Amino acid sequence: MSADAVLSKLKEINGKYSMFHAMTDDTSADGAKFLFSAKDNLTSKDMETCSGSKILIGYRPAFDATSIAKMREAGGKLIGKTNMDEFGFGTFSTNSGLEVPRNPYDLERACGGSSGGSACAAAVIEDHVSLGVSTGGSICCPASFCGVYGIAPTYGRVSRYGLIDYGNSLDKIGVLSAKATDLKKYMKVIAGKDEKDPTSCVQPDFKTDYRKMKSVAIPKEGTEGLSKDVETAFKDAVENLVRMGIDVDYVDMPSLKYAMPAYYVLATSEASTNLARYVGMRYGQQEGDLSLKFDDYFTSFRSQYFGDEAKRRILLGTFTRMVGFRDRYYAKALQVRKVVIDDYKRILADHDAVLAPTMPFTAPRFDDISKMSALDSYKADYLTVPANIAGTPHMSVPCGYDSEGMPIGMQFVADHWNEDVLFSMAEDWEKEFDIRAPEVGA
Amino acid sequence: MDRQTVERVARAAHIKLTEEELDRYSSDLSEILTYFELLDEAPGCENWGVNPIEVADVLRDDEPRMDIDPDQLLRGMNTYEGYVRGPRLS
Repeated sequence: MSADAVLSKLKEINGKYSMFHAMTDDTSADGAKFLFSAKDNLTSKDMETCSGSKILIGYRPAFDATSIAKMREAGGKLIGKTNMDEFGFGTFSTNSGLEVPRNPYDLERACGGSSGGSACAAAVIEDHVSLGVSTGGSICCPASFCGVYGIAPTYGRVSRYGLIDYGNSLDKIGVLSAKATDLKKYMKVIAGKDEKDPTSCVQPDFKTDYRKMKSVAIPKEGTEGLSKDVETAFKDAVENLVRMGIDVDYVDMPSLKYAMPAYYVLATSEASTNLARYVGMRYGQQEGDLSLKFDDYFTSFRSQYFGDEAKRRILLGTFTRMVGFRDRYYAKALQVRKVVIDDYKRILADHDAVLAPTMPFTAPRFDDISKMSALDSYKADYLTVPANIAGTPHMSVPCGYDSEGMPIGMQFVADHWNEDVLFSMAEDWEKEFDIRAPEVGA
Repeated sequence: MDRQTVERVARAAHIKLTEEELDRYSSDLSEILTYFELLDEAPGCENWGVNPIEVADVLRDDEPRMDIDPDQLLRGMNTYEGYVRGPRLS
């Protein structure tokens, strides 16, 4: 399908899948080299940016995020801002104050979160690349649920300038696409040092020898608690890797079980401070009663416009930073992060990647999600949070389908700054595994 | 986390909760914090930092410059005679 044809059908397609919160009105690609979309927590000059929150409705940024600016400079045309969990707070993209994207393989199921709209767009629109953001698994989870490739690079590889922060020490901008070759192609576009984000300035250049993956380690703890379908698909995929000549070892990684609570302490601590800026002034919603005292004014906005999960995470993060609890939760979580990093380094000294299924189950139905407790939802992230807390590059590739045709993914984790081996693996895997594209119709 | 603690934390975070929310968050957060007790048994370590990679300070020359036109920034804000409007301080 040509770029112009995609644009002419965009509203129709979005009506079915709700992947975009905002989208272009253009029906011509105007000679653009490629079309792309971006998660709605990346600022864009020409489209409203809400980060999935009611509190930011009406926010029209005066600047592009560096990652979006670089995609435009490379000849890309931004066609839409993708739906997501509010500020990235979720596993299914259902914690949104705006629209909830629908899974391309079954409209009654979730896309995964929090870059759900991006994964949906990558699966549904032909030759499409979407920018996602991962804090605790928000690229790999939806990539797995929507049957596409997704990569979150090393923390600091892509400038976070223009990213609406969730967790400053965790947020990473990456790429989702149905084509493995797009990962390398577009990561090279958006990566690089940017004086507007000092954390991007310590990075070495991408390695360009694109060495082949020769060995992977599977932590025994990463194969526990899987659904039968995921277990079977993963086993088949591992056999496929062995046929490709890749050595597979099973290892112990005891720190994995501590990563989930450590992640939620760090992420909510950082989020609760980042969200302090949303008070009904300067951004988004600003129509309040200015005769109120400032405390009451701020409180009225935050109480009215933050969603349920945003309030829960603000409360949790505020509590774990409070005097008397800080050492028990926040300081301990930082220590656990170091222990997890050391565990990865120990294993990656002898292997090219650590491998496990991306998610323990396939995309759940919306009615099943509504019955899950907050803790149930947090626990579903146990396979994706370790790499995120460690800041190591990780990638989900489609590796199978369950008995109802829903996609299953597996996740490779490489050492810091070693994205090259993930790019090679994605391209090798694409030759071995046929994606069953979803049936798309508006 | 009991209701009183939830209320205290919410006040610090500038959020006013309904009675129903107080009950619900008290129950949810208690369950979550019970699970977080796992951290008590986790191994600790030395030399931990706040970022997953080593981040060095990167400074640029201290020269004034204008990246974005202030008028553009003010365009989406509730303003009065060029000032951002806000609530009363007292």
